[in-house]
Amino acid sequence: MIVRSTKLGLDEKERFMLFLIAPAAIVLACFEIIPILIGMNASFRDWSLVNPQRTWVGLKQYVAVFTDPVFLKIVLPNTFLLMTASVGLSLAFGLALASLLNRPFFGRAVVRTIILLPLTIAPVITATMIRWSFNDQFGVITNFLSYLGLADIGWLSDRWPSFALVIMTDIWIWTPWFTIILLAALQGLPPEPFEAARIDAATPWCIFRRITMPMLRPVIIVCVLIRAIDAFRTFDQVWILTGGGPARSTEVFSVYTYVLAFVDLDIGRGAAAAGVGAIIMLFVGGVLYKLVNRSVEVSR
Amino acid sequence: MIALALDGLRRAIFAISIVAIFVLFVGPIMILGVTSVRPASGAFYIWRGTNFTLNNFVEVLHQSQVLEAMWNSFVLSTLATILSLGITVGSGYMLSRFGGWIQRSWFATIYVFRTVPYISWVLPLYLVNTRLGIYDSYLGLLLPHIAVHVCFFSWLMKGFFDGVNPSMEYAALIDGCTRWGAFCRVALPAAMPGIAALAILCWLSTWNEFLFALILSGKRTPLITSTMAQFVTETGTEWNLMSATAVLAMLPALLVTIFGQKYVIRGLRM
Repeated sequence: MIVRSTKLGLDEKERFMLFLIAPAAIVLACFEIIPILIGMNASFRDWSLVNPQRTWVGLKQYVAVFTDPVFLKIVLPNTFLLMTASVGLSLAFGLALASLLNRPFFGRAVVRTIILLPLTIAPVITATMIRWSFNDQFGVITNFLSYLGLADIGWLSDRWPSFALVIMTDIWIWTPWFTIILLAALQGLPPEPFEAARIDAATPWCIFRRITMPMLRPVIIVCVLIRAIDAFRTFDQVWILTGGGPARSTEVFSVYTYVLAFVDLDIGRGAAAAGVGAIIMLFVGGVLYKLVNRSVEVSR
Repeated sequence: MIALALDGLRRAIFAISIVAIFVLFVGPIMILGVTSVRPASGAFYIWRGTNFTLNNFVEVLHQSQVLEAMWNSFVLSTLATILSLGITVGSGYMLSRFGGWIQRSWFATIYVFRTVPYISWVLPLYLVNTRLGIYDSYLGLLLPHIAVHVCFFSWLMKGFFDGVNPSMEYAALIDGCTRWGAFCRVALPAAMPGIAALAILCWLSTWNEFLFALILSGKRTPLITSTMAQFVTETGTEWNLMSATAVLAMLPALLVTIFGQKYVIRGLRM
């Protein structure tokens, strides 16, 4: 039944494999790979909607992006700060919540339902309600904080409070994701090591550090990999909450690129920024993949 | 005695944490919900006064744009779910069951293209769509929404098939079933629970998607998220109407969370 593949032809099994991936590969090629190539082409041109000559300018746009102080001093640090803070803190909170919920108690089903809400509600809506709650005049939370004596925080008018709000919103959205996955992982752990540790009178903290954490490690690593890649392209929350402001101080990579291409209408520069982001992410993704594959086999 | 006190303390901390979860996760949603049933004059300082009204919803639903946007989002999400699951199921099966250079290079491809930020290919996609004349149409929105799912869903589908014991398929092959038959009749039904869960998540994520809607849709085919964003960034003062729109846009999420919770959790576990 199995035909050896000749030099040029594919055997029956390989043809079937190609047949299975064909639809996905065609869509990927037409609507992701080809646009990327077109974008690369655009990034070498002077192409703005006010001046649509599309003259070839070589690497000028890339040089402009890399020498743009906004990109170097604000956008890149913000993007990586958001990435590490959001992934790190939502992992920590997710782990804490998962350990908390990993026992039967009254009302557990309700808590689990509530925890799912941030994941199913659109980030646009989440950002809207956070923006409303932190409205400088009428926001419920701003007013509550000023009642507590914290009236002077310019939540949406100063750089760091605004950025903290962006990070908090991201944590609000993603903590439940970590919780659900880690809770599932916790419930799938074998009970014997925990029983043995308890017989040896290990403290709960010791059990957590020496048994739970090492056993959860593969799950945690895969989660962090997925989230870190997604966090780099965060757009919705930032755009709705701050729009990159005040004075571009909370722009992250996606917002920066969007503003260049669709607000300043400079397609060439925007495409160059998009290309820079893609290259950074390919590099970061590659490094993360190497790290992850060493401890967990992702590809197999 | 000390043990008892410690136990009480532990219980208290536990109860406080549960209450904190409620406040943190339900609080902001409640604020939005309360604002949506307040009259325009009561939308500011929502904790004062006791006037409640459903007029905001009536008014929002009378704006044809909101209804139209909800309908467009509904159609788009449904079509995108069916098609993106349809095209990734085979790809996931291949990644799970076969090996060799084709499998390895396909896996590398989807990993690489998953890391590319959306903006990097949606920006040129805007140029493609305007050139092809499908900008701001169903087709121009649908195809990118399928493409965005190819990489991640192939990965998830692989996981579903990994969880299905392949020996049944081998048995079917020995009994003279074709490879296609073994895939469709044996492996696919067994992976169905996972795929159903993924369908719900896919529908929601398309409904919730914003960046594509912002760039690729306009006046002709408004989507619910981009309509919402317009409310926030352009008008930005009628908080009662905006909250009503947000609550309407949130309905599918609430329904799924309450009634389809089992599927959501299963889908998230991968």
